[in-house]
Formats: sequence, structure tokens, C-alpha cells
Amino acid sequence: MSAASDLSVALRDFSANVRAEGRSLILRLSGNADMAAKDSLDSLLPRVHAEAQRISATEVQVDFRNLEFMNSSCFKSFVTWISEIGDLERSKEYKIRLLSNPEMHWQRRSLHALRCFAVDLISVES
Amino acid sequence: MTETPTAFELTFQPNVELISIVRRFLSDFYERMIEDHDTVSRIALATHELLENAVKYASDGATFLSVTFEPGGTSSTVSIRLMNRANAEHIAAVATIFEEMSLHDDPFGHYQIAMARSAKRKVGSGLGLVRVRAEGEMTMSHTIEDDRVTILAQTTVTARRRS
Repeated sequence: MSAASDLSVALRDFSANVRAEGRSLILRLSGNADMAAKDSLDSLLPRVHAEAQRISATEVQVDFRNLEFMNSSCFKSFVTWISEIGDLERSKEYKIRLLSNPEMHWQRRSLHALRCFAVDLISVES
Repeated sequence: MTETPTAFELTFQPNVELISIVRRFLSDFYERMIEDHDTVSRIALATHELLENAVKYASDGATFLSVTFEPGGTSSTVSIRLMNRANAEHIAAVATIFEEMSLHDDPFGHYQIAMARSAKRKVGSGLGLVRVRAEGEMTMSHTIEDDRVTILAQTTVTARRRS
């Protein structure tokens, strides 16, 4: 796996880290993904995408359960990432599983919108 | 239930760190008047996105936020109003987004179209106002007077029952 520092973000109010589990990656997000997190997320998600392809991942789990909020700029970073997966050859595609927290009410609508954007690639779990 | 309108106004200079603080404060503010946590969440999301939109594009740095809660007989109305001065480019961009929204009756369908376009954008997301309408379930309008842009987002809610 790429160096952990390449696949992690630690800001004052936002953090993200990635770990591998077999042919899956688990991206865990915590805190508040607002404007302060945007640049970090913009640079992290392409690296996650590259790592997923490097290990021929079948799935990337994105754990939103400790994410208090995500603004539209950070949401766009995910939209771009999902679009990039959709642009891969079918044999190189991998699935994305979004782990949500029902107590973070914004997630129900936002993650549903992401899922509808690529229903063949994305599933949402509470 | 609150019987009289409750209002909150704030004017501040651009500081993106303030926006999340205001969102958390307003969540507490709405929780006192609105029964449903999901409703509070979508209003807080809408407020956050509108504030970010205004702060990013305010030409003189000042952004004015007004939140009003108006109780009614069977339901209550929440109005979020954002006002800022903006340059011609931003004013045109806002007008374009509202024009596009008027052409799409289905907010969620429009949101999906905007997401597909946003995926390939290099600058900005173009999603903030569209998200307010779709995820925030807001009715939106705007006015432009000279270089002043005012955006009004409104939604109807079930008020907290009296205990």
C-alpha cells in the first residue's frame, strides 16, 4: 500500500485515513468537511482512486459515520471521483460502499443523491 | 409552539471558519422550534450552502443573513435570506442558475444533471444553490438590484408541539 501519509489527511476539524483489507480499501472520514477540507479532499480522492487501481480493488468503503457535515465543494470531489470510476474499463471498475450514520440526518439525502448518480457502482448502508 | 415570528440576523465579513459555527448555532436555534430532526438538518444544510455561496462571492466582503421562523395555523414557514454585493460575473452566474432551476420542475432531477456537469468542472462545483433546492427542499427566489444579490430560500415545516 502507498505510504499512510499519502492516504491520510489531518486538519483541525477534518480527518481522513485509508486502510487496506484484502482487495478492499476503507476510507474513513471524520469531522466537518467544509471549505477548509476541500483542497485536502480534492488531492486525497485521486490518490485513493490510484491506490484502488494499483491493488485491483473490488470495493472501496467510505465510512461517513463520523462525518458531521459535508459541503457542496467536498461533495463535488466525490462526484468527480465516482465519475472517474465510471470512465474506467468495465473490468477495472470497483464498487463503492457508503457507510452512513442515521443520526447524521444530512447523510440520508446526500448519500442517496450520490447513489442515484451511479447506481451500478454505489451502495449505501446504515 | 412559538406564537410570534422569531428572527435572527447576522452580518459578517468573509471568514469561512465562521460558517460551520453559524450552522451549528442555527441547528440549535431551529431545534427549539421544529419537531423533526431531519427537517432541522436540511434547513441547516441550506443555510450553510447559502452562506458559503454569499461569502465566496461577496465583492465587498460583507454578507447579511436573515433567518425568520413564522408560525402558522397548521404549519410554519422558515425563510433564509442572504444578501451580498457581487461583481457582474457572479451576478450573471446566479441569474443563470436560477434560470436553469426555473426550467426544471423536479429539483432532484436537476440536481443529478448538475452533478454530471460538476464532475468535469475544474473550478467550483456549481452545486451549492441546486443542492439547497433539492436536499434542503427549499423554494427559492432571487432579486438583483444594482450590484446587490438577495437570495431567499423558504420551506414549510411542522412546528414543535407545546409540551
